[in-house]
Amino acid sequence: MSATALPQISTRRRLTDKVMRGSLLAGTLIALIPLILIIYYLIHKGLSAWAMSGFFTTDPTGSFFGSPGGIRSAILGSLEIVALATLISIPIGIGVALYLTEFGKDSWFANTVRYFVDVMTGVPSIMFGLFIYIVLVIGRFGGSGFAAWKGAVAISLLMLPIVIRSAEVVLLLVPSSLREAALALGAPRWRVVFKVVLPTSASGLVTGSLLAIARGMGETAPLLFTVSTAFALTFSLNQQMNTMPFLIYTDITSPRAAIQTIAWGTALTLVAIVLILNLLARFVASRSRMA
Amino acid sequence: MAIVACGSSSKTTTTAATSATTSSSASSVAPGTINGAGSTLAAPIYQQWASTLKSKGLTVNYNPIGSGAGQTELAAATVNFGGSDPALKPSDFAKMKGAVLQFPVAAGAITVSYNLSGIKSGLKLDGPTVAGIFMGKIKTWNDPAIKALNPGVSLPSTSITVVHRSDSSGTTEGFTTWLSDVDPAWKSSIGEGKDVNWPTGTGGKGNSGVAAVVKQTAGAVGYVEQAYALENGFTYAAIKNSHGSYVLPTIANTSAAFLGIAVPADLGISTINSPNPGAYPIVSQTFLDAYKDPCKDGGANASTAAAIKSWLTYAFGAGQQTLGAGSNQLPYAPLPSALADKDNTQLATMVCNGAAIS
Amino acid sequence: MEASATTVTGGRSVLERSPIGRLPDRVLKWGLSALAALILILIVYFFIRLIGQSGHVFSTYGLNFVFGNNWDVQANIYHGGALLFGTIVTSVIALILGVPVAVAGAIYINELCPRRLRNPLTILVDLLAAVPSVVYGLWGVFVLAPRLLPAEKWFASTFSFIPWIGGGIPQLYNYFIAGLILAIMILPIVSAISREGIATVPSEHKEAALALGATRWEMIRMAVLPYSRPGITGGAMLGMGRAVGETIAVVLVIGSAPKIGTHLFAQGYTLAAVIANEFGEATGIHTSALFAAGLVLFVLTLIVNMIARWFITRGSHGTRGTGATGMTIASGPANEK
Repeated sequence: MSATALPQISTRRRLTDKVMRGSLLAGTLIALIPLILIIYYLIHKGLSAWAMSGFFTTDPTGSFFGSPGGIRSAILGSLEIVALATLISIPIGIGVALYLTEFGKDSWFANTVRYFVDVMTGVPSIMFGLFIYIVLVIGRFGGSGFAAWKGAVAISLLMLPIVIRSAEVVLLLVPSSLREAALALGAPRWRVVFKVVLPTSASGLVTGSLLAIARGMGETAPLLFTVSTAFALTFSLNQQMNTMPFLIYTDITSPRAAIQTIAWGTALTLVAIVLILNLLARFVASRSRMA
Repeated sequence: MAIVACGSSSKTTTTAATSATTSSSASSVAPGTINGAGSTLAAPIYQQWASTLKSKGLTVNYNPIGSGAGQTELAAATVNFGGSDPALKPSDFAKMKGAVLQFPVAAGAITVSYNLSGIKSGLKLDGPTVAGIFMGKIKTWNDPAIKALNPGVSLPSTSITVVHRSDSSGTTEGFTTWLSDVDPAWKSSIGEGKDVNWPTGTGGKGNSGVAAVVKQTAGAVGYVEQAYALENGFTYAAIKNSHGSYVLPTIANTSAAFLGIAVPADLGISTINSPNPGAYPIVSQTFLDAYKDPCKDGGANASTAAAIKSWLTYAFGAGQQTLGAGSNQLPYAPLPSALADKDNTQLATMVCNGAAIS
Repeated sequence: MEASATTVTGGRSVLERSPIGRLPDRVLKWGLSALAALILILIVYFFIRLIGQSGHVFSTYGLNFVFGNNWDVQANIYHGGALLFGTIVTSVIALILGVPVAVAGAIYINELCPRRLRNPLTILVDLLAAVPSVVYGLWGVFVLAPRLLPAEKWFASTFSFIPWIGGGIPQLYNYFIAGLILAIMILPIVSAISREGIATVPSEHKEAALALGATRWEMIRMAVLPYSRPGITGGAMLGMGRAVGETIAVVLVIGSAPKIGTHLFAQGYTLAAVIANEFGEATGIHTSALFAAGLVLFVLTLIVNMIARWFITRGSHGTRGTGATGMTIASGPANEK
């Protein structure tokens, strides 16, 4: 070994490296600028709504003169409907993704499923609402016209392709070596899936699910023709129910300034709730990894 | 849409608390939950009424998805009543599951609001001029046509930005119907409808979308519902009516549009271009539609039918007092008592499976 | 029980599982297959109902519905060519603006930024997904569109020599604003999925590149990007799906003019926006036309997906890995030999 220095990196390559690294940083910052602007705007317009008495603890009154009330029924309604949609779409979504990565692989059937799921991601959210409208609402299926559970079904249709697609990407990234090692040790397929594949991809699955839930909570269009609205608090899934996106959509058009402020306050609340869910799920996922 | 509360006597309704006064309708509210959908113009009215009736045990849920959607929902019997700005046509009646009653409930003016610094409300505009502006023929505010109508006003040379609705809407229908009535050039080239081929201008979604663009753009002009314009301090034009007078869209002038119009047997009135000399010419009426027999055709049971009837009774009765120009009232024009009486007479014909509703 | 050292009853080898032991595996496999089949049936049923509702308008206009340029609600004529144009234009703008930024962010967060910043930055980018679509639209109406208008005017006049991009008079609501809002909306999803792909690059690849004397950027270019291509593409596809189908945000800022805009800052219309604007008041053939618009979107996504898949499989090297998504993956070390 000679004592000469290692070959120097050419100036051009060094420059390229610096420029590209700078661009990547710039890109990240560019991504954050709209976020900061939007959150700032939401806080600016909506924070005063949080200060209104009874904003979180009372239902909207609809009254033009007196107190406009709060958004309690909308918050609980949204949570209930999205919870139901999540219960439907996440197990099914991960199940289908598991099928595609573990069993279906490259078969024509699996490729067909994959293909159509991809296509579903491009369907406008309003179409899911209209689909449920013509299938479930018009015929008064279940004895009701508009109902919360029908909205939940529409939202789960919206969430499903996102869950399936993102879960599949994540599951595929589990190294085959891990699977093969487990199989070589004599584990049955189901054990490999539940004890090796799923835990390894858990945090990625959580990310994908959270994206889907965030989407589900913030969509208005699927609710317009399936759930309609109600002012009063109700937990009955077979009736019309209030939801946050719907409230934002209609209240922002109100002539009354106080009600417009409530719309912004609701938007801020929605973002805050999704953020909390996000942090909670991340926390749980990291804890389960350590366990 | 403005819902006009019907006062039993005069138009200048007092600011007395609405719920306590009228003993007749207040006590006889049938309890229950009913659902409605339709007109966005009337939404603030129905929501206000719903909040009053809630304390009496009647819950009313209203989804403001548009007049047409309201009709569709009623035809599918997924709602108990529909809110519609335009009167139902024979083809609309045909789509329903059974006979439908339509009840005029209130009216709201459609203002021509503008954003022109230094110019207050009351700029005089007539039909052909407004049509010229919205057709793109009149391009600046100091155009001779506008100047001729407003001799004492110094108009800037700002260019006019037209703002119209991007979504299908009963308000557009009201506005374009008026334009077709007063300007033959508009009628032949563009015509009327919920959605028309605007030759120029920016589209804003919903009434508030149009209002947002007008507010943000100097020199903009758009058609904005009265309630919105009044609540948010817009500047709007005084429009020439059928009598030749330039009229501002005040509540009183909007209420005047109800007088002198023809009232057909099915109460399908139109308040556009009213013949009344004091009327503001661009006024849109709004209706509540319900099945004549909600039990047979609308899938309702007896108690729901009673609730529907209570709702409607309130609408033409105590509810009317919440509408008007008072500080404690919704900025819509109430029904004249004669029309309210006709509504009540028609309401008496509502039945449940053939039997009268108590 | 007659058994030997290597067999049990029935002549099975000890290493083989008993039929009962195999049961859970069978149940899992067939259970999941049934689930996938159910989903496929659901999607097909959705497709069929969509076709059913749009039948009327296709029988009246045929393919003119898709490519003709005359959407006239008043005259009850529905040719949606301008809508298709708007959908494609706004989605392309969204992808051009959004994907590079999202991927740059994903790379930076995973490869370059200080470790302790990683989690906070991730949470921040994902926070963009928490914003409801209606809020994006409203922010566009009240903040973005009016604020950007002067810049758009400057751009249009300075670059007026570029066809379609410059030269027109910018409107308050236009293709560009809609595309920009969409770009922001797809950032979190493209970034998150890309991130998953980038995070799983084996360190051996990265270390090998660095050991060979590559700069950080070169390491990223040679080791990280190729390996994470499926993740990035997956994210971009989901992002494109979102852009193409976004309804509420777009309807507020596109201007809703059913014409083929003559320049980037002209008012336009998209297939999704028209449904939101007109469904409430539509009847008869109009309703059918709106369902047909949804159907066209469905088919559009079908075609774009097909092209993307073909592009990816063609561009990849050899046949490695499971190729399950139609995209080949550089497998882990086990398959490297």
